[in-house]
Amino acid sequence: MQTIVDVNSVEKSYGLTQVINHCSFKIYEGEIYGLLGINGAGKTTLMKMILGLQQIDSGRIYVLGEEVSSNPEYLSNIGSVIENPVFYEHLNANELLSMHLCYMQKKADISKVLHLVGLGNADRKPISKYSLGMRQRLGLARAIIHHPKLLILDEPLNGLDPIAITEMRRLMKKLANEGMSILLSSHIIGEIRHTADRIGILSDGCIKQEFFVEEKVSEFGEHFEDHVIGLMGGVKI
Amino acid sequence: MNLYKLEMMKIRLSTYLWAIFLIFASLLALGILFLFIFQMETDGNGTSEEAELFGDWNGLLALTTALTFACFSVFAAVIAAKVIISEYCEKNAVILLTYPVHRNAILGTKCMIVCGITTVSAFISNILVISIMYITAHIWGIMPQMSTGHFILTALLSSILMGISSSAVGIVSSAFGWKKHSVIATIVCSVIIVCTITNFIVISPSNIIGVMLAMSAVFVAIANFMYHVLINKIKKMEV
Repeated sequence: MQTIVDVNSVEKSYGLTQVINHCSFKIYEGEIYGLLGINGAGKTTLMKMILGLQQIDSGRIYVLGEEVSSNPEYLSNIGSVIENPVFYEHLNANELLSMHLCYMQKKADISKVLHLVGLGNADRKPISKYSLGMRQRLGLARAIIHHPKLLILDEPLNGLDPIAITEMRRLMKKLANEGMSILLSSHIIGEIRHTADRIGILSDGCIKQEFFVEEKVSEFGEHFEDHVIGLMGGVKI
Repeated sequence: MNLYKLEMMKIRLSTYLWAIFLIFASLLALGILFLFIFQMETDGNGTSEEAELFGDWNGLLALTTALTFACFSVFAAVIAAKVIISEYCEKNAVILLTYPVHRNAILGTKCMIVCGITTVSAFISNILVISIMYITAHIWGIMPQMSTGHFILTALLSSILMGISSSAVGIVSSAFGWKKHSVIATIVCSVIIVCTITNFIVISPSNIIGVMLAMSAVFVAIANFMYHVLINKIKKMEV
């Protein structure tokens, strides 16, 4: 299986605070990798480092075999939703996605993607009139429209209603089945458990433990969440 | 990829066109007023020293050019604040910096847009104001006529140099605005520059081209330096 992301002994500090400390993990083709950690564990920082939004103090990150560096061309293979998605409010979804495709130098069927994320009827509405849930969907549409090999989603289900959450999970599974690799972060165990194939627990700046969700669920059953909480806090229950 | 087209999509051009029109209308109103100031000041009382600036075309050209420079310098800072500062210093930076385009290429495009819009609009506005003033004076017979060819050349050259200076002020202001990560700081900086510099334009109305040439050369040099400072900061920028 092809390695899509290879994070190799990466370190990152803000002043005297070391946020990421010799962190290493890999994500493979078609895999949904869940990054789980408490608030402030460094999930967003790690994702931003993969996207080149944060400098790496030491270590290396490879995306599709190419090292993350000042050359931004590797970014055309990545789609991302980091924190709350932001848009140019005066544009509509059609204009926004068309602009995004131009930047990515790719072509795609915009209406098909908007239907896929449930925004088929809102393509001409100014984004300023979108609800929080619609904005999350549009953020996802922007992240996937250029058919990236890697999708980075930082707490993508925030603000979505239960039906939308179920739809988004199905969509993520579908994209992964089509070969897209997904790096998903959350501090909500249930959210990751139902979506990810493999989970990495980020604690004290590094991946404390990695496991396949199915294996742990069958091992711990209804105590799965307690077990994971223990890992997140560094204390095994 | 047409970066100019993409960057232009992000701004509401109609808002800026309205602003340009309002600036032009205000400058025209002041320009027409200047034409009559000399007449009113000199009616039966001789010529006052303050009114002499309004008494010939060199003085009027210097005055309108100075005012146009002041207005469009602040206008350039407003566009720069929107196009550069609010994009990089607010949440949009997360999207902007994840496109597979070199950071300096995007900044270069943004600066060209700021300079292009400002230079063209300042030039056209100044030329239109001067032209309408000239025609009005001709119709009313209230000002001495000037050699038309020489006046047109002086007006064209001083206007284009003024446009370039205004756009350079926008870039210089954005570099200071970047330091504070503030749209307001960008605009305030341009106001400070304008308040300090504008008087120099009317120092020597008979040699306005020389004054404008020196001023634009200095501003372009500073703007170029600030642009490179900005590029270095954006290359190392973390969000």
